[in-house]
Amino acid sequence: MNRERLERRLVLGALAVAAIFLPAVPAFSADAPTPAPEAILDRFVEVTGGQAAYQKRKTEVVHGTIEFAAVGLKGTMVEYFEEPGKFYMAMDLAGVGKIESGLTGGVAWENSVLQGARLKTGEEKAQAIREADMNNFSHWREVYPKAESAGEEVVDGEPCYKVVLTPAEGKPETMYFEKKSGLMRKTALVAASQLGDIAAESISAEYRRFEDILAPAKITEKVAGQEFTITIDSMQANQEIPAEKFALPEEVKALLARQKN
Amino acid sequence: MYRLLVLLAVPLWAQTPQDRQLNLDSFEKVWTTIRDKHWEKNPGGLDWQAIHAEFRPKVEQAKNIDEVRGLLKEMLSRLHQTHFGIFPATVYEEVGAAGDLDAVGDGSTGIDLRVLDGQAVVTRVDPGSPAERAGVKPGWAVKLANGVNLQAAASALAADASIPELISTRALLARIGGPVGGKVQITFLDGAGAEAKRELALAAPRGQMSSFGNLPETPVWFESKLIGAAGAGRIGSVGYVRFNYFLDLQRVMESFGGAVKACQDCAGMIVDLRGNPGGIGAMAMGMAGYFLDMPGLRLGTMYMRDAQLNFAVNPRFPSFAGPLAILLDACSASTSEILAGGLQDLHRARIFGTRSAAAALPSVIERLPNGDGFQYAVGNYVSEGGKPLEGEGVKPDVEIKLTRAALLAGRDAVVDAALSWIEKDGTGKAAK
Repeated sequence: MNRERLERRLVLGALAVAAIFLPAVPAFSADAPTPAPEAILDRFVEVTGGQAAYQKRKTEVVHGTIEFAAVGLKGTMVEYFEEPGKFYMAMDLAGVGKIESGLTGGVAWENSVLQGARLKTGEEKAQAIREADMNNFSHWREVYPKAESAGEEVVDGEPCYKVVLTPAEGKPETMYFEKKSGLMRKTALVAASQLGDIAAESISAEYRRFEDILAPAKITEKVAGQEFTITIDSMQANQEIPAEKFALPEEVKALLARQKN
Repeated sequence: MYRLLVLLAVPLWAQTPQDRQLNLDSFEKVWTTIRDKHWEKNPGGLDWQAIHAEFRPKVEQAKNIDEVRGLLKEMLSRLHQTHFGIFPATVYEEVGAAGDLDAVGDGSTGIDLRVLDGQAVVTRVDPGSPAERAGVKPGWAVKLANGVNLQAAASALAADASIPELISTRALLARIGGPVGGKVQITFLDGAGAEAKRELALAAPRGQMSSFGNLPETPVWFESKLIGAAGAGRIGSVGYVRFNYFLDLQRVMESFGGAVKACQDCAGMIVDLRGNPGGIGAMAMGMAGYFLDMPGLRLGTMYMRDAQLNFAVNPRFPSFAGPLAILLDACSASTSEILAGGLQDLHRARIFGTRSAAAALPSVIERLPNGDGFQYAVGNYVSEGGKPLEGEGVKPDVEIKLTRAALLAGRDAVVDAALSWIEKDGTGKAAK
């Protein structure tokens, strides 16, 4: 059941593209050679909203549901982002209880009734910091210093450009952008986790506007032979978020205190 | 008695064309399942297609279901991975169920039993249960249940080494279960060997009904208390925890954490996993965290076809650093084995009782077209010390078997051994 981090990672892979929809962005010609990865990513930013929209977003609150249909598990999820570098996520699954994770003051953590509290370190922490950056695609050149085109591939019947992005710290992530619309349709990556490196695949669908944002409302994840679906009900930008939402849980504070002793 | 005769019977008739087809279908189901669901793409390092080519003609030539069963067992034995098995259809007939050993109803007399020296012996009577109210005592042997000779059935099941004790115990328990509201007539043999007849009501099972996803609602109970020579509630006592499933996650995890917190001054703790068939695997990691104060440790690794998962443990506070005893028996399976085996390998717990079920994974038991049962595992779990639990189980550090004589005397020899170790020899770290 310990997939909250993966779910976070993949949700952000789609949601962080939020921007103001600008329909005038030119499309690539269908029979043109594969464009440079930079052009594919910049186009993605533009079709989902554009740089200006990214720049004015300072907070974000996301509400949604999560369902593991094959095993009959359902729950709710909520995420809070605040620039710079604050993040909190809680997922509440029936029969499992609350699973939380967050980033505050450079401390990346997770906590649950099931497994208690822990601090993330190394590659996993770098991944958490990357995910907590709600506007990471607006400055993707910093987040992913290396971007390579890997040809084209059909995803759910739609021809897509395949781009491999390598973060400053972490493993390469492969993203698929629809040739026709420029929207991201799929992400494939190997997530660093306490359970080990785990291959995960994410399909983004049902893009719709959330205020000034064009983002997928349905994300289907495949992780370690299991599949689950995240449905985004609401996504609000620039709401004032109470400071206590980002406060470290007592269990995490206790771990930090032990580290100092 | 007729069911026992069925159990021991040798087919005397030739198979019909229909039987032959059912046996071939059964072969294909077994072979295909291993091909598609085994955790290794080349199961057991074998050329699985070549195995098909070798065995299919033999199954086609087989004269009866016994020969087919023998061939399927031989094919599975090539994997050299136990926990793959074929059970005769008569195992199912023995419990009178259509196929699912658990599908006989939730009603319970409150009796738990095990096969001890070839007898079905009451090992525990739930407090407040119909059995307790009727005066049934641990140590009594079950002779007849609704007219079926369980004494003979227990002896026959125990004598068949191909049937895991977990399966045979479930089959026997099914005989004294049924729908809530029903009744079961049981003839016991008491401590003096005299017959004691009881009509026991089948009541709602002990515990709170708990659901988890698509799993059927399951009654889950959790108990914790202080025991030991120092006396309940006093410093120096031993904390004792027992629960019947790793389910009802939130309540059981919170109760477990509460029991550890309440036991900070205890001389030791006993986690009794006897009869616990497992549940949510991750709960083993969560519980182990209360006994380990170093980050970065893990109980073991699960290998599946699509992933490899470390069963990592987060230290949880307040933790318990004193001597820890874990009790196991042949009905301790899955998550119970993962928790016990991992803490044993990390030299954090000393294991008492008998070897566990060797069913560390949620293996699947399906009926084959010819009526036999087919058990297979979908992954491999290797405990931190490098032992594959699947098929091996957890071997206790101190092997102690329950005896009827001790049960009749009101003693639990396994708990007694753990208490003795904690109170006399416990050092806070389990000895190798």
